[in-house]
Amino acid sequence: MLFLQLLLNGLQIGAIYALTAAGFALIFGATKIFHVAHGTAFTIAGYVFLFAWRAGWPGWAGAAAAVLAAMAFGVAMERYVYRPIQRHEGSFFTVFVAAFGVGIVVQNVIGMIAGRGFATVDTPLSFSAEILPDVFVAPMLWIALATAAVLFVALTLFLTRHPAGVGLRALAQNPDLIRTYGLSSNGLSVLAFAIGSALAAPAAIITVMTTGLNEAIGHQIMLISIAATIVGGIGSLRGAALAGMMLGIAESIALQVVDTQWAEAVSFFVLFAFIIFRPSGIFGVVQTR
Amino acid sequence: MSGPTIGRRGALAAGLALPFIRPATAQTTEPYVMGSLFPMSGPSAEFGEAFTRGAQVALQHIAADNMLRRPVRLQSEDSQALPQPSVVGMNKLISVDRAHWVLVSWTATSKAVAPIGDRAKTIMVNGGAVGPDLAGLSPYFWNVIALAHLEVQVMVPFLVRQRNARRVALIYVDDPLGDGILGQLRTALPRNGGELVGSFSVPRAAQQFGPVVARVRQTRPDAVYVASFGAQNAQIVKALRDNGVTQTICSYSAFGIDSLRTMPEAEGALFTSQKLDLTGAHALTSRFAADFQARFGQAPLVYHANYYNAAYLFGLLAKQVEAAGGTVNGDSLRAAMLATRKFDLVGGEGEFDEQGNMLTQMQVNEIRGQQFVAIG
Repeated sequence: MLFLQLLLNGLQIGAIYALTAAGFALIFGATKIFHVAHGTAFTIAGYVFLFAWRAGWPGWAGAAAAVLAAMAFGVAMERYVYRPIQRHEGSFFTVFVAAFGVGIVVQNVIGMIAGRGFATVDTPLSFSAEILPDVFVAPMLWIALATAAVLFVALTLFLTRHPAGVGLRALAQNPDLIRTYGLSSNGLSVLAFAIGSALAAPAAIITVMTTGLNEAIGHQIMLISIAATIVGGIGSLRGAALAGMMLGIAESIALQVVDTQWAEAVSFFVLFAFIIFRPSGIFGVVQTR
Repeated sequence: MSGPTIGRRGALAAGLALPFIRPATAQTTEPYVMGSLFPMSGPSAEFGEAFTRGAQVALQHIAADNMLRRPVRLQSEDSQALPQPSVVGMNKLISVDRAHWVLVSWTATSKAVAPIGDRAKTIMVNGGAVGPDLAGLSPYFWNVIALAHLEVQVMVPFLVRQRNARRVALIYVDDPLGDGILGQLRTALPRNGGELVGSFSVPRAAQQFGPVVARVRQTRPDAVYVASFGAQNAQIVKALRDNGVTQTICSYSAFGIDSLRTMPEAEGALFTSQKLDLTGAHALTSRFAADFQARFGQAPLVYHANYYNAAYLFGLLAKQVEAAGGTVNGDSLRAAMLATRKFDLVGGEGEFDEQGNMLTQMQVNEIRGQQFVAIG
């Protein structure tokens, strides 16, 4: 029964990781920008939902506000941080430091506004009931899994059927060709940031309801997103999502055999194993630049 | 009798010397520097804010009472609750700011900075960290908080005798504090007729505790002792309650913060702390409580009191040194402490031992109706 319990816990954690990793992978795949501030979009979305909840807004309105806030942050980063840097010299290091700096500033601003303490929303959705002897499941597990599944299906349909989605995939493959066909690579970059950041919002909302958050939570989410993107195969959205889910499950069921302190190290052990034995990741694609 | 006459040359020399005389005069009114090494950012920043508030009220009282000939300036450095930034901050406080007194916190960071303060003979006072090995780190490292071995020795008999909780599981942070409490529980539980049925270490940055709780549940504990700090304490409590653990949750003084007090999942949790009766007749405690409430709009908690004491103690000792005509430095402050030993502080009389550890009475608190209620 312990295995089943750990597997169910892992699925919930994996859904959170998968959503954030997919967002990061979408942005990185389409724009080649290493968006370290993706964890900050997660944090902002979480706090917006928290404020809305405390203000008595309906859950759907809070969720919508969280998604909009994450999107606004992502788009603002693209427009006012990354694009000016790329216009001048655009080195990876400058982009990295700028994003990291923004993350620290936002973290401190959130701390000043929301206080430095732990924040959560009190909801019965996170409260577990015993469904089998010694197996406890909260309604939030099913919500997390359903949310992840619906969003991935929607995203896949968007990227394969919608012209803008196809444009995003084309931007990832060959940005020069995009310009040749008269498409706006800037517009597509903004779209990538908007959708990628929006994907962090549901994960943040689930986290507020289950784990709670503080202003520093984005770092951890960011590390997992990067690991999942590499394990899934850089450039592959479904790879990142699958790897995120896999890392969450691995982190949880590993506790059946290892001490609890090694739970998070398991994710990075998986990462190292992939780097050594399969550097291209699960669904690695050949990069054109 | 004719007075001294000042010639042209004398007047000129005095005029030229004036710019140099002014700084020399100013030097005597330069403030004493009280450094603080608290986490002001990151997951434990709530503590840094609380610690600072306690110290601020103490400095307010030192100034209002004209206790010292020189003002006291609080110089804050962000430790992030991590050893490396603490070492950087401590070096700055000593080398650049020439701090006379440094308020420290966190077991790992205190251990990291203690050798620096020891070399510089700067007094370091801890009011928040409880790792048992903080006793005797250095002659210049003092504690105004009961260390973990004392907290565990109070909680374990209470659990076993008052709550009939004999089987205790421990979730502890992978850190000197967590290791220290694990060691204490291993010896204190069997001695009191209890048993440590499981111990589960978690990394400092861990955020997900559902799987850990599944392992805890397997041990069928009567109580779960949580030995972490910052936001992680609250996250563990929420994970325990959300994942079907209905047994008693207990901890040490780190539970005495607002985010746990107001969290519904923490209702009924027990924790030990120093004795602090804000409603009693003790004059300094009442003054502290009233002024803290007026300044910050909330009743003070134990951590506020600890860092009030840590900062106020500087005022008491430096006053003695000044009165004796001495220079305020680590050695003179330590000599004054050893000569006096007993001080009137918030919570009552605090008495220091040879190593600079303050001996104090303890109490067991329960989080009840979003209040900390002393129950034993």
